[in-house]
Amino acid sequence: MAYKPQYYPGATSVAANRRKHMAGDIEKLREISDDDLTAVLGHRAPGSDYPSTHPPLAEMGEPACSIREIVEATPGAKAGDRVRYVQFADSMYNAPSTPYFRSYHAAINARGVDPGTLSGRQVVEARERDMEEVAKVQLETEMSCPGLSGLRGCTVHGHSLRLQEDGVMFDMLDRRRLENGTIIEDKDQVGVPIDRKVDLGKPMSEAEAAKRTTFYRIDNVSFRSDPEVIEWTQKVWELRTLYGFQPKN
Amino acid sequence: MKDPDSETVNRIQVEICPKRLLNPETAQMLLSELSTLDGISKAIIHGPRLPMTVAAGPGSGEDVGHAGRKVIVIADTALELSISVGRIRLEVADADVKEEVRITCEKVLPFQFEFKEGLYFHNRLTVSDYAKYGPDANVEMLGLSDPKSNNPICIIGSKE
Repeated sequence: MAYKPQYYPGATSVAANRRKHMAGDIEKLREISDDDLTAVLGHRAPGSDYPSTHPPLAEMGEPACSIREIVEATPGAKAGDRVRYVQFADSMYNAPSTPYFRSYHAAINARGVDPGTLSGRQVVEARERDMEEVAKVQLETEMSCPGLSGLRGCTVHGHSLRLQEDGVMFDMLDRRRLENGTIIEDKDQVGVPIDRKVDLGKPMSEAEAAKRTTFYRIDNVSFRSDPEVIEWTQKVWELRTLYGFQPKN
Repeated sequence: MKDPDSETVNRIQVEICPKRLLNPETAQMLLSELSTLDGISKAIIHGPRLPMTVAAGPGSGEDVGHAGRKVIVIADTALELSISVGRIRLEVADADVKEEVRITCEKVLPFQFEFKEGLYFHNRLTVSDYAKYGPDANVEMLGLSDPKSNNPICIIGSKE
């Protein structure tokens, strides 16, 4: 029988969503063009070539190395792309993804990525075209809600604040806003104005966000309501503690 | 300096904490309604800052132009919002005024809010107050602004 990874325990919708994010089994909800994505990331002009930091690997003459033979380089590494980042902030008010599950998604489903997980934001560093691939997947699918998640390279403040009256996560730099029912972004992720209005799509309704979220919340699906998750969390905690205990006598 | 306890001890301090951050129009409507009530001696609006320029990162110095940074008018006094209003703290004369404030909030706010009584203004000099205002500070003005900030205290109904 083929091995099927068991990513996350639990019987609740939050646990199921967490499994989906980790497995990459996520539903595509919107379309964002490559040029729009490049514009909001702000690392290069839309349509321009990828700047490189070294010549393509094929021209460099790599040293003989068994690991290099086993592991094929990612497209970005092959082309010699620069390392660039994408950073997300997700509202605690039932945003679809949490920083940890963005990281799990990137680390499990993409190669050559360096995910960084913080309390209120999550960054993925990778070769530019590899990073764009991860960013596109995370933006276009149920992992993001344009109203409750945001591309924020700096000044991420907002993930733990109450939502604005229109249901959108607060953004100190006003990078995106609700216009005619959709979220429009007219600045890149660090707050520099761009020459276009990027339509990030319709924000999720409160009910849909509650259904798709990976946040345990007492006013939606509480952590304590999932005995299997508690059992495994406690087991991992216990084993980590015991394995660190080394009696000398 | 006047005895801080002599006049303010009987007043009630309340905090209004709406479920959502208020947009400038709702904030103006609520504050205007509150300004018509007699018996409110102090008010603070509190919330996340709306900066004029990007403070950090590669975009430092770019204008933000935040849509929430608007001039609102309360009882003929204009003030520019430099925050997104998240909490309003008031000092009111007695329990009747407190009840009027609660009714006003129910009338104006289109969503739920928390309404709590507590201690939200200090009435004795802190070290920062002493450093900024000196030993003869007006007790009535304490706690109305961030001592580190240059934003003036706004006196509603005054021409200053």
